[in-house]
Amino acid sequence: MGSDAQRDAPRAEALPAAALAAEPRWVWPRTLLLLLLLLSAIVLGTGLGSVTIAPGEVLGALWRGLASQFTGAELGSNDVIVWQIRLPRVMMGVLVGASLSVCGGAFQGVFRNPLADPYLLGVASGSALGATLAIVLNWPRPLIPVSALFAALLAVAATLSLAREGRRFPPTRLILAGVVVGSVLSAATTALILRGEDRARQVLAYTLGDLGFSGWRDVLTVLPYAGLGCGVLLLLARALDTLQLGDLTARSLGVPVERLRLIVVIAASVATAGAVAYVGVIGFVGLIVPHMVRLAFGASHRILLPLSALLGGALLVYADLLARTSPLSQVGIVTTLLGGPFFLWLLRREKDI
Amino acid sequence: MKPILTRTLTLTLALTGLAAATTYPLTLTDDLNRKVTLRAEPKRIVSMLPSDSETLCAIGACDKLVGVDDYSDYPQKVTTLPKMGGLYDPRIEAIVALKPDLVLVSRYGKIVEPLTQAGITVVAVNPETYEEVFAKTLVLGRIVNREAQAKNLVTQMRRDIARTEILTKNAVKKPSVYVEVDPTPYSIGPNSFMGVLLTKAGGRNIIPASMGDFPKVDPEFIVKANPQLILGVDAKVAAARPGWGSMTAVKAGKAMALPKELDTIFSRPGPRMPQALAGLARLIHPELFK
Repeated sequence: MGSDAQRDAPRAEALPAAALAAEPRWVWPRTLLLLLLLLSAIVLGTGLGSVTIAPGEVLGALWRGLASQFTGAELGSNDVIVWQIRLPRVMMGVLVGASLSVCGGAFQGVFRNPLADPYLLGVASGSALGATLAIVLNWPRPLIPVSALFAALLAVAATLSLAREGRRFPPTRLILAGVVVGSVLSAATTALILRGEDRARQVLAYTLGDLGFSGWRDVLTVLPYAGLGCGVLLLLARALDTLQLGDLTARSLGVPVERLRLIVVIAASVATAGAVAYVGVIGFVGLIVPHMVRLAFGASHRILLPLSALLGGALLVYADLLARTSPLSQVGIVTTLLGGPFFLWLLRREKDI
Repeated sequence: MKPILTRTLTLTLALTGLAAATTYPLTLTDDLNRKVTLRAEPKRIVSMLPSDSETLCAIGACDKLVGVDDYSDYPQKVTTLPKMGGLYDPRIEAIVALKPDLVLVSRYGKIVEPLTQAGITVVAVNPETYEEVFAKTLVLGRIVNREAQAKNLVTQMRRDIARTEILTKNAVKKPSVYVEVDPTPYSIGPNSFMGVLLTKAGGRNIIPASMGDFPKVDPEFIVKANPQLILGVDAKVAAARPGWGSMTAVKAGKAMALPKELDTIFSRPGPRMPQALAGLARLIHPELFK
């Protein structure tokens, strides 16, 4: 156990207490800033697109769309675009971006590993396999997230049992195990794609991450997954902070470390499964957003997680806006093109990894 | 006596198509921009493209086929031939084992290199645009020494296409059409061979040429274009998509998946293009085919 404490020591040092303590003076301005960013993303995402609609008309369309819920009135074609196509697509972007970012932040905290994210631990690959299976077998749409969740839990269980070294999950082992599990599952997904020829491109687009055809019904299906998963993670923020001091210290402060890890993993799997179910694997958001927040606003999870949700939601909506107005065509391609270089920069910067 | 005999013989040969006999060795540039030489008339051919298989059979070279790809399914004869895999999973060893003297491939995939190294002549013949379908038919005719038949086939195809076109040209109203070839969704541009067929069938494609031949389409673009007819999407699926319930075509019950047979030939740049056109025209202008 002594060696455990020693190995924990440098990590605790790397995250000085000052970074852990919330700085109440600055929390609200920062939250406000990111809230504005998210709001601007929603406004721009709803206003811009392959069809140009004037801002005034967007507002009118939103009003008429909302009103039609009660009056059942017919909507004009621009109203339909704004209310039934763009707004749900934007909202799906917010939900997915927020979910992936919060999960990424929580994973990085719970495993004290700056490279952890839903993707690297195999959760996303598992969700993707489950969802692909559901798509290829033509299961009803509401079953897609269920299948995704089930496969995600299996995947993360496999990763964790492979990476486990006693009670610890050393960063390198975790990444290696995650990469292996992710690769095996991706191979299985590809095999499924090739067998289900008719749906091949549909599934391929899905594995590249795509927000197209996200409707209100999908948003409402994903909402409980995102809400439940992220809600639990946000409630655990204080415990995650304590965990940064090392397993031993956290345990001595009364944090049930093992149980905390399990709950975080399950909650994150729930949120990730919801995020991945309809829009596919959107790479790097869960990895880079928490780092951006940490660099700009501090490392305390009580700040990190909620601000990651705001920034992640905003970022994904902007990325999708870029995707649908440019030849990059799919949001997953945009996030990976932007996130890849950031990831490499992070690797070079963090000598500690 | 002798000149008459010669002349008769020449005439007979011309009529049977042998007059335009290909002279081997034949060197040509294929669709991968490689210079390929055929030493003699190929006798054992493997076709890895359904459209090439169909064309070979349509110009009387079906007997030369000894193997086809998994998707070649027309005419009946090719369905009995050994299957050599698809674009992504070609059975290279099985192809080599068939000892072909010619393998026809698409410009995609990776089988050219290994087959060439195995000493097999490989030619990429891969029609993609409307006019290429005719040009490649003639190329195939030269390759397999069936030039006259290829020319006849092209003439016949153009005549059949013109026959449908005359009907649709006189159509009073040409509906705007959205054709979906994949639910992601992908559609067809007016310059793709499918797009040309759509126009000839009397439909107005909602996709502008600037979007490319097989563009991924933003769903809101389709809603804005509000086509009068949707092909390639089942009515139920169309109605369930966000925002599609309000589209003219969906409300009028004018969204439909293509019948399976038509779906296949429509996406195949080969000798059945006239049938594809006729089938499309029937869907778009049922009033002209009473």
